[in-house]
Amino acid sequence: MALGILSKALKRLLSRQRKDSRALGACPSSPQTLLSRKLRENEAFIRDAFGNSCDLIIREVRFGISPGIAVLVVHIDGMVDTALVSEAIIKPIGVTSELLEPERLSSAQVQDMLKNRLILLSDVKQVSDIADLFHSIAGGKCGIILDGSSVAFVCDVRGFEKRSVEEPMSEVVIRGPREGFSEVLRINTSLLRRRIKDPSFWIEEFTVGRVSRTQVAIAYIKGIANDKVVQEARDRITRIDIDSIQESGQLEEYLEDAPFSPFPTILRTERPDRVTGALFEGRIAILTDGTPFVLIAPVTFLLFLTSPEDYYERFFIASAVRLLRYASFFIALLLPALYVAVTTFHQEMLPTPLVLAIAAQREGVPFPAIFEALLMELSFEILREAAVRLPKIYGPAISIVGVLILGEAAVRAGLVSSAMIIVVALTAIASFVTPIFSLSIAVRLLRFPIILLAGTLGLFGVVFGFSVVAIHLSSLRSFGVPFLEPIAPVVASDLKDTLIRLPWWAMDTRPEFTGKSDLRRQSRGLMPRAPKPQENKISGSPGKRGST
Amino acid sequence: MTVLEGGKISGRQFMAVLIVLRIVPVTLVFSLISNINHVQDVWIAVIIGAVITIPFAVLVTKLSLRFPGKTIIEYSQILLGPVVGRLLGLVILWCFLCTSIDITRVLGEGYVIAIMPETPILAFMVMLAFMSSYAARSGLEVTCRLGEDVFYILVFVLLLTYVLPYNAMRFENLRPVLAWGVSNLVPPVISDLGFYSQFLMIGMLVPYLNRPEDATKYAIYAVLIGSGLMALAAVVLVAVFGPTANSWTLPLYSLSRMISLGEFFERIEVAVMAAWTLSTGIKLALFLWAASIAIAQLFNLRAFEHLVYPLGAVIVASGLFFFNSMVDLEDFLAKAGAVSSILVAGVTLTLLYAALGIRTLIRRRKGGSG
Repeated sequence: MALGILSKALKRLLSRQRKDSRALGACPSSPQTLLSRKLRENEAFIRDAFGNSCDLIIREVRFGISPGIAVLVVHIDGMVDTALVSEAIIKPIGVTSELLEPERLSSAQVQDMLKNRLILLSDVKQVSDIADLFHSIAGGKCGIILDGSSVAFVCDVRGFEKRSVEEPMSEVVIRGPREGFSEVLRINTSLLRRRIKDPSFWIEEFTVGRVSRTQVAIAYIKGIANDKVVQEARDRITRIDIDSIQESGQLEEYLEDAPFSPFPTILRTERPDRVTGALFEGRIAILTDGTPFVLIAPVTFLLFLTSPEDYYERFFIASAVRLLRYASFFIALLLPALYVAVTTFHQEMLPTPLVLAIAAQREGVPFPAIFEALLMELSFEILREAAVRLPKIYGPAISIVGVLILGEAAVRAGLVSSAMIIVVALTAIASFVTPIFSLSIAVRLLRFPIILLAGTLGLFGVVFGFSVVAIHLSSLRSFGVPFLEPIAPVVASDLKDTLIRLPWWAMDTRPEFTGKSDLRRQSRGLMPRAPKPQENKISGSPGKRGST
Repeated sequence: MTVLEGGKISGRQFMAVLIVLRIVPVTLVFSLISNINHVQDVWIAVIIGAVITIPFAVLVTKLSLRFPGKTIIEYSQILLGPVVGRLLGLVILWCFLCTSIDITRVLGEGYVIAIMPETPILAFMVMLAFMSSYAARSGLEVTCRLGEDVFYILVFVLLLTYVLPYNAMRFENLRPVLAWGVSNLVPPVISDLGFYSQFLMIGMLVPYLNRPEDATKYAIYAVLIGSGLMALAAVVLVAVFGPTANSWTLPLYSLSRMISLGEFFERIEVAVMAAWTLSTGIKLALFLWAASIAIAQLFNLRAFEHLVYPLGAVIVASGLFFFNSMVDLEDFLAKAGAVSSILVAGVTLTLLYAALGIRTLIRRRKGGSG
């Protein structure tokens, strides 16, 4: 009910705003939409549009022997590779055209000469629309405008400062590739392309944001990904009408199925191997320029609890680690609540010595267990948030304060029991086990209401809270795929890669819901078998082999 | 005609929710046992119940399969005409609501008796009703998906409870067999059939199956597995508690409290309570869903979702109002409740099949004359 009212109010608010802001981001301050034939007029348009921006560079070159034709080379300093501009544009126009007498040529011939012979770049486009030209220049391309013709050329000479490909910060693996995505879309697509060397790997690009003009790309493998999902992603992206997109998290809120859920229904990752793995399961990736976080959809809940390393380690170990992760998920969500419920309502559940030990510890504690738990959880959250935000130099200081004051001194002062400290610490560590951060935040948030329920209704409260979370999760969908997919609904064939991971040679099929269009991914019977001893000629008798 | 419920469920989910539906009220309150003087023969009563129920379940399923995409509420209006059909629909709806009220109250009583005697029963009932309404509102698909998982959990926990107290079991407690004659079996059979008459729910679920042709098979499986679990419970309870097993209020819960392995693996009554709460939640969700759909179809409403929460509130209030205590409730479940729901199920089935027979006769005659 409340959500409905809230969403209605939000919708009303949004629709009102949309009317006001539609003008922004249209072609800035030019009455005309097409380029003029007069060079000076065009120059004036540009100067007018970009204002006094100090990084705008307009260089005039003459084409042919004097007087020749004036050519304007326009670009933004810092966004282009300046050496490339002078080598591939200015030099050929200025030097090699010395012998030409362009006045004798028609305008079309001049354009052809420039585009097809003189500009030594692979990506040259002809534009006549003024807005196109402006957006290309603003996006780091180089505009070339000729006097006496109403078309301009736009060449890709982009070269700006960027971070190199580094190891991802938030998803670390011991075994596996160390590359992580970077902020530049083109680098990210190349990281993917290098892993899938097949023309069926398609990347579609969109521009989102009227002013920021952020490039957003959908990447998928044609033939494996469900066409309906791809179309759905296209629709959802083109629907977005906003002035700027800064990060994929912002994009995610426009794309997801359940905007009011604490759980993410789109997965974000920094790892290219994770993305390609998902692509081969029939999912699609959404890359956003300006952020190393790539979105993957459709996803299931258990995908958030997997790590790429599961697929590189031996399957026994990988399966055990997965089970450990699931256990940690439940610990992170329920342990403080269970502790509160048991110590407050169900003491008889614990073995007697343990009850006595806890009771002895709690003797001097002035607060009820629920308050104690909330206090400690809250202070831990504060500590964690501080540790993320504070300048790295202060790191040791905060850990001393955290460990000594919040841990040791709080117990000594009798504010909290040491059992509670153990519970909170275990919960905190368990919540770090979740490989995808966006899920672990959701768990952190949900822990508090469940603690409250446990403090008021005991175990029934915990069961209630857990059931509501479970009902909510199973009602979610991610691009049409049930979010709890192999568990609810139970899909037996998909359990092979969720609760445990079977060996690679046993996972013959893609996930049922996403990989339907091409379910089989490998031939049957790939299990390696050692040759029998009598047939084993290689290791059996090397001497004989050598003699024959 | 607008589609009220767009979801589809699989045969396995159908079976799972039917089994949950059968064993939920008795996982703790084993009313079959409390309803008999000589407990040794309860397992025989359960088997007799299954033998009677299988044809009933098959008949309901077959009838539903004759009207693809229609619930029992809809096709009873087709078969019996709008007035009588609606009246019958109202009776079925009343049964759904009664069951919801029973299980809500039973869960509340269970918690108050077993775990938290000082908490008002209203708290448990309200929370349960909220949780189930949330699931019911999310649709049949969500309820049944979770239902399947809950079924696995429930079976696992039940089997643990059956197997682990092996030290305390004395199978000679089961003797003598049938020493008190067949008349001794009548009350537990009636009680068992009372619960099985809830299988009218099949008439609400079959139209939403993704492969309706399997419905009969899964309905039979449901009866077999449900009765199997019940018979096992009867055997284990008598083997452990002896001839006085009928004096326990929550026998299965008490049984789970006895489990102790190596002074470490104990307290699985928590798991029993959790599994019981989850499965009661699923059962209530299913009945709330069915009741809302029934109301929507009886009164030609376009959506059922808005009915779920108010119905939940009504059920909590009635649950408080209708019964005085657990004893009262158990007595009702075993006697008046059981008999009346058997009557409803029997009359419904007879009426519908009679109408179907008459219709086919008329059609054949018309076909013959035309």
